[in-house]
Amino acid sequence: MELDFGLIVRSLPLLLTGAVVTIQITVLSVGFGLFIGMFAGIARMAKFWLVRAAATVYVDFIRGTPLLVQIFIIYFALPLLLGKRIDPFLAAITACSINSGAYIAEIFRAGIQSIDKGQMEAGRSLGMSWIQTMCYVILPQAFKRIIPPLGNEFIAMLKDSSLVSVIGFEELTRRGQLIIARTYGSFEIWVTVAVIYLIMTLTISRLVDYLERRYKIDDKH
Amino acid sequence: MISIKNLHKHFGRLHVLKGIDVEIREQEVVVIIGPSGSGKSTLLRCINYLEEPSEGEIIVDGITLTGESSINKVRAEVGMVFQRFNLFPHMTVLANIMLAPQKVRKLNRNESEIIAHDLLKKVGLSDKANAYPEQLSGGQQQRVAIARALAMRPKIMLFDEPTSALDPEMINEVLDVMKNLAHEGMTMVVVTHEMGFAREVGDRVIFMDEGRIVEEGTPTEFFTNAREDRAKAFLSKIL
Ligand SMILES: Nc1ncnc2c1ncn2[C@@H]1O[C@H](COP(=O)(O)OP(=O)(O)OP(=O)(O)O)[C@@H](O)[C@H]1O
Ligand SMILES: [Mg+2]
Repeated sequence: MELDFGLIVRSLPLLLTGAVVTIQITVLSVGFGLFIGMFAGIARMAKFWLVRAAATVYVDFIRGTPLLVQIFIIYFALPLLLGKRIDPFLAAITACSINSGAYIAEIFRAGIQSIDKGQMEAGRSLGMSWIQTMCYVILPQAFKRIIPPLGNEFIAMLKDSSLVSVIGFEELTRRGQLIIARTYGSFEIWVTVAVIYLIMTLTISRLVDYLERRYKIDDKH
Repeated sequence: MISIKNLHKHFGRLHVLKGIDVEIREQEVVVIIGPSGSGKSTLLRCINYLEEPSEGEIIVDGITLTGESSINKVRAEVGMVFQRFNLFPHMTVLANIMLAPQKVRKLNRNESEIIAHDLLKKVGLSDKANAYPEQLSGGQQQRVAIARALAMRPKIMLFDEPTSALDPEMINEVLDVMKNLAHEGMTMVVVTHEMGFAREVGDRVIFMDEGRIVEEGTPTEFFTNAREDRAKAFLSKIL
């Protein structure tokens, strides 16, 4: 078998724009996921059992079912309920955000629970409410501890976002499929796609290492 | 100032407080002593509702508990100092002290900063305003914790073994701050094993064992002729 390097070079622009789309979905999904996850994570420790139960059901459902199925539910099943089609981009972002939110909720919960109980007690004993103590005392400390797991979640989402190719959304993996359909250069294209993913994930993990080190040096500030 | 009637506390099956009755007057300094596990911390923590009483009544400064809002009201009047300081590690000393006055008392930055500097001077740490807790010794951290509690202008201060986590050479700097507070007329409830402190500034000593108040009296009475055998046994161990 002979490698067609020309094909790789010619496909690169199309693949790289696909990679940009992949990064977009990932950033948006983890961004929304962070928001959802923070509330869901805190809700899992709420005093009221109903709030706690709702958050637990959400986290368990999402983590206990495949992302692919969640994408299908949003893209194929939900429109039946709504009576109108959902744009693939919206479906992709929605599914990935909701998915990411559940994992990030657990990251937040673990981060918050790793903070010494005495911190909440000190805040409460000064007359601050639970929410105030959470915002000014607990979360700022927890944020630093959850940077590494958040980085891992970002990498996981970047890879898993390839699943949205099944609803025809043109991110990196889908672009690869489309090029192969035209050129039959299966080997060249899939290896190139893999290398592009690898470059992205390695870059992020180095970045997370760097952030982690920086926060270690001026620990707690 | 504090009135506790028939206070019981259960942790699941464990009956930790078995009917506590105490009245604490304004400006009184009450020292609570007793063996480990006798319920001293739990009693203290019930006073500002860090623990929810299972039964009984606690009235603090005329406020009876009716819900979350009265809990916060009580807590704003009652300062607490913990064995392990519990300073906020991500904030400077100054920010530690300023936080609650701003968020709870709604003071502005300037007002709370003035209060904070004042209190730091009082505990002898003016030069540490911009340090972070981890840069301070244990004794210094505990003095900051006292300043932080005082910043809320509490009417009552609770101390739970404030010097137990300290190296011996740092104990006095903290006790001195507490003695000054006592002389200024602060109402104080102090759990401690520092008998010198109890003798010097205590108005009353309460001895607890197994969830009950076994004996109480003035420090002189208590230390020179305790009536109860359990109190005598305890004293012979620590004196
Ligand atoms: N949150 C809790 N859950 C379950 N049991 C608890 C809890 N807090 C305290 N206890 C138990 O209640 C009993 C009294 O505890 P407490 O801390 O009030 O004792 P103490 O007199 O302060 O002892 P020490 O001198 O060791 O501080 C102990 O047996 C302890 O194990
Ligand atoms: Mg204790």
